[in-house]
Amino acid sequence: MVGKIIAVHSYKGGTGKTSLSVNLAASYARRGKKVCLMDLDFRAPSLHALFKDQKAEYWLNDYLNGICEIDKVLIDATKDHGNGGKLLVALANPSTEAIRDMTAKDRKWEMKALGRLLSLRSSLLNDGDLDYIILDTSPGLQYSSINAIVTADVVLVVTSLDASDINGSQRMTSELYDLFEKKTGILINKVIADYLSSEKERKKFDKHMKSVHRLPILATIPCYCEVLRAAGDFIFTEERPDHPFTETLDKLATKVEKF
Amino acid sequence: MSYNTVDTENTLRTTTMSAYRKLETKSTQLLEKIRENLEQLNEKIDVMIEIQKHGKRELPEDLPEALDVMTLLSLPDHLRKTAVALCKLEEATADEVSEQTRRARAVESGYLNQLVVMGYMKKERRGRKAYFFVDKEG
Repeated sequence: MVGKIIAVHSYKGGTGKTSLSVNLAASYARRGKKVCLMDLDFRAPSLHALFKDQKAEYWLNDYLNGICEIDKVLIDATKDHGNGGKLLVALANPSTEAIRDMTAKDRKWEMKALGRLLSLRSSLLNDGDLDYIILDTSPGLQYSSINAIVTADVVLVVTSLDASDINGSQRMTSELYDLFEKKTGILINKVIADYLSSEKERKKFDKHMKSVHRLPILATIPCYCEVLRAAGDFIFTEERPDHPFTETLDKLATKVEKF
Repeated sequence: MSYNTVDTENTLRTTTMSAYRKLETKSTQLLEKIRENLEQLNEKIDVMIEIQKHGKRELPEDLPEALDVMTLLSLPDHLRKTAVALCKLEEATADEVSEQTRRARAVESGYLNQLVVMGYMKKERRGRKAYFFVDKEG
């Protein structure tokens, strides 16, 4: 099997990109896949909080800066989170200084960064033998996110039911994803339970969403208080394998695999 | 027929064959050279067309800074496809780009030369082949 690069993106912040990226990575690891999860949200890094016990020699920032090669950035989290597969993690530097440095980069740097990201396909998928690279990105039209989208084979757009979020996702479809001819799917996250309370309600909801989004909807994920309570402190699907959220994520993983 | 006559005939045949082979090699080389020149002419015409389209005045004054993703987004669809393919390949001939984009080689050659004229890419001839690349340092 040829490995896949998946970028998880959204128009607005707080849609659940990181939570879904982490749990999708965990879902693939559970089915024996070799996965690498990367934090490309340099403005608001978050994966370091979840993998706080593991330290790498370098940050992902350093790889993009050309200071080191990717192997120096990767943390092997297989021991704690492998679950039968393999999980590697690349973290973004959360220090204020690093965030300031990353936001002040010029266009030439961003062009080189795109080249560094594109070369991950040969170093990690072809030579490194990985099955999936999952890129957790910054929301909106940021350089790092668009670089990730250009690099990816599949783009997953996470959206809530917020009107401005839906509107923004629609615009990004025609002004971003379409332009790069990317395979793109929508994940509707944090859906209020009322909308999915019966088969009839669910059908009505699905019909409405299909009319709103031109792209295929790969998952409709209900809002679970338990998932919110995990608060980025642990990998939910790992702790609660029997929870409906885990089942939804597993189904999503299968769909993305065949997408 | 004496042995001598046979020998002379054989020698004559070998000489003719070798002369024929030489001629064949020469004409192949000549045809290759003509093809190469035609390709170069085609590329030059592409560049001229591009300059005519955009007006020479616009080009040197407003040279783009870099082929970053925002620039990629601003390109027309047909050129974006070529530019993205070259970003992925880092350095490539029109042939290699056309393999990625699944469009004809002549089409890609035209687009790549347009991108060179627009200042987003560079072109270098090495032997008979022309290589295109994004200049990351310049």
